[in-house]
Amino acid sequence: MNWAKIRLERRDEVTWAWRLFCFLVAILGTLLVTGILISTAGKEPIEAFKELFIGAFVGIDSIVETLVRATPLILTGLAAVVAFRAKIWSIGQEGQLVLGAIAAYWASIVFEGLPRIIVLSGVICLGFVGGALLGVFCGWLKARYRVDEIISTVMFNYAIFYLLTYLLSGPWQPPGDFYVQSAPVIEKALLPNLLQDTRLHGGLFIAIVVAIIVYILIKRTALGYEIRAFGSNPIASSFKGIKPTRMLVVVMLISGGIAGLAGTSELLGVHGRLNTDIAAGAGYTGIIVALIGGLTPLGTVIAAVLFGAMVNGGFMMQVITGVPKSMVFAMQAITLLFFLCSTLMSQYRIKRVTEDV
Amino acid sequence: MLEQLQIKNLTKRFGTVIANDRVTFDVRRGEIHCLFGENGAGKSTLAECIYGTYRPESGAICFNGELVEFNSPRDAIQLGIGMIHQHFVLVPPLTVLENIIVGTEDAKVLLNTQKAENKFKELCARYELKLNSHAAIWDLSVGEQQWVEILKALYLDVKFLILDEPTAVLTPEESDKLFRILNVMKRQGISIVLITHKLKEVMQSDRVTVMRKGKIVNTVDTKSTTREQLTHMMISSEIAVQGLKKQINSESTVVQIKKLDVRGPRGGYAVKDLNLTLNSHEIVGIAGVAGNGQKELFETLVGIQSPESGEVWLDTEDITHWSPAEILAAGVGHIPQDRYREGLIGQLSIVDNLLLGMHRSPRFAQRGFLDQERVRAFVQEQVDQFEIVAPSIDTVVGNLSGGNAQKVVLARELFQASVVLLANQPTRGLDISIADYVHRQLLEKRKEGYAILLASEELDELIKLSDRIVVMFKGQIAGEFDAENPDLEQIGLLMAGGNL
Repeated sequence: MNWAKIRLERRDEVTWAWRLFCFLVAILGTLLVTGILISTAGKEPIEAFKELFIGAFVGIDSIVETLVRATPLILTGLAAVVAFRAKIWSIGQEGQLVLGAIAAYWASIVFEGLPRIIVLSGVICLGFVGGALLGVFCGWLKARYRVDEIISTVMFNYAIFYLLTYLLSGPWQPPGDFYVQSAPVIEKALLPNLLQDTRLHGGLFIAIVVAIIVYILIKRTALGYEIRAFGSNPIASSFKGIKPTRMLVVVMLISGGIAGLAGTSELLGVHGRLNTDIAAGAGYTGIIVALIGGLTPLGTVIAAVLFGAMVNGGFMMQVITGVPKSMVFAMQAITLLFFLCSTLMSQYRIKRVTEDV
Repeated sequence: MLEQLQIKNLTKRFGTVIANDRVTFDVRRGEIHCLFGENGAGKSTLAECIYGTYRPESGAICFNGELVEFNSPRDAIQLGIGMIHQHFVLVPPLTVLENIIVGTEDAKVLLNTQKAENKFKELCARYELKLNSHAAIWDLSVGEQQWVEILKALYLDVKFLILDEPTAVLTPEESDKLFRILNVMKRQGISIVLITHKLKEVMQSDRVTVMRKGKIVNTVDTKSTTREQLTHMMISSEIAVQGLKKQINSESTVVQIKKLDVRGPRGGYAVKDLNLTLNSHEIVGIAGVAGNGQKELFETLVGIQSPESGEVWLDTEDITHWSPAEILAAGVGHIPQDRYREGLIGQLSIVDNLLLGMHRSPRFAQRGFLDQERVRAFVQEQVDQFEIVAPSIDTVVGNLSGGNAQKVVLARELFQASVVLLANQPTRGLDISIADYVHRQLLEKRKEGYAILLASEELDELIKLSDRIVVMFKGQIAGEFDAENPDLEQIGLLMAGGNL
């Protein structure tokens, strides 16, 4: 009797050369499928990709714009990395971002009379706190009442957005104004410019610093160790004194705070005032970025820049070739799918097993 | 044809573990046939192969004289084979009737409830079951839920029914009722395979097949065998030489467990009124089939579970409600029953696994930062000392062999513990040389003065290592024996609930 089977077997060793190969295969796949999509829309794929690339990377203005787009994604991506490493499925980066922006704006009003350095530190700290509070609350809800974190964080995303709309059409709307937005943030509270005459702002600096901090946290600290251990096996970890409750609260505090910094950065570096566009999906995109980045800080930064490039280049692509920039959203999704497949490809091999009686 | 089911040379492997080793086995039409053996003997695996959940690596299964190959339980069900698992697969919010017809022809597009209702009434009458077809599952007692599982099988005109440890969750009255139902089924011509480790149930069957470590030991007519013979077949028949253990006088009482009551996962008591002392320089062995409360006892001692009542004392401290971190700090080490689930983090390296529990100790962490150099030096030391075979200390523990993975747990626990060692099935699944290594380590710690609690299903291991042996059955201590000249038959009997 023949029992033939096809099995997926975990690879013993994953060399980085093989990982790189899988990564390149994923990129190739993405370009291929997106190219097909573009041609079925009646446009020239190669032309489109060329303009995408030019728009993203050619010229100082393009590069700056790519980085500006990438900045919030780095931060929301890092927020997701911290939570997901502990297998805490927080989908609340969007809401935490907004609450962070709200808190930072409020801080800018409250600290108005003080010297610049205090104002800047104050708004950044409070931006962190805003996101952190939301994160901790959801973490606590899970620890104490077993409320699923996916549900609580997503629900709060909506709730916080309504809070924002309320604030911007009520207490924080300048009297006599039509638009649903706040008064401009005071000059003192704005993040400093990194490159003269460009949009490159201090938020990128914050993002890079946070990336480094997250790297050190995960690799070198006892807490980072606990996050990794707890995320991989909460049962064995609890046997050895790592309390699930503590993990939930601490991890969500850090994750929420980092997302709050994303909101701070957008408020004080890009928009200069609080409006309903402050997030624009950066929270959710950050999750994709983190996953593509393999849940590592460096990978997240690279993936964020990649996505920033796609969005930025998409404008140029639309202007020159007429391919709508919403194609970029399709590209982002296709990228994620291919990256997930390539992760599977890099870690497993296909084995055919045949045995005779 | 007399044999309804015939299995020849069936082998089922999970990775390197051989769960069923060239099993040859048959069941006659209309008989109640028990599969008897300890946990890990391979009974459930064999049953799942018959039911189609698993596909064996090799071997032949013949049902009603024809060779069969099942891709899934659906194929088995179509031939009239049914299985009732230890964990019921019922949908609590739905009614009895709905649970019975789900997945059947009568619930494909339109619900044929009238036909189902009639059949239900007829089955209940035939098997003397009293059930309200419109009652919701969550409203029923455990025994009643099991009847629903049985009705599910009967509804599909089962001809061959396998029950996996059905009385594990039942009260004595419910167990009796179950056997009455099984006998009615038998009279109707349905063949029944009963998986159990309880002698009382075995003695009610027609034939019994004893399994040990994946192999068939023997198949006998129940009428022509005795409880003692069966026990003998179930437990290891080789008795190890007691060379290594020297008599040591225990100096002091280290752990005292008083009147411990611990609730189990299904609401009943996993541990009831348990009293035990552990002294220094002593190994106390707990004999018993896994699932009789050892896990809950160990979890309570480690701090994961809190007992409902009772006390646990470590020296002069009441540690009954201490957290795992506190108990760890007090010098208690734990080698868990399920090394991959409870002891190791499979996706992390040897370094990370050896560090678990010590990641905040001043030895390795200063102000929250880990001293990687110190950690790695320590890990390398342990790997050398314990001769852990691995490409490097960064190798992921999931890639190590079972024996080496257990060595990682051992190295860590022996290092972290300073007064007490709790070892739950420490050599399960390990080959002889590694098991021997573990034994020598335990005896070494005994000499150093540790109080050691050892739970094992291997009697010869217990005899080799213990000073005293206690038998655990259904959460209580059924008996205590001196390990010098233990009454093996009596121990085996108590392990299988023999005196009940």
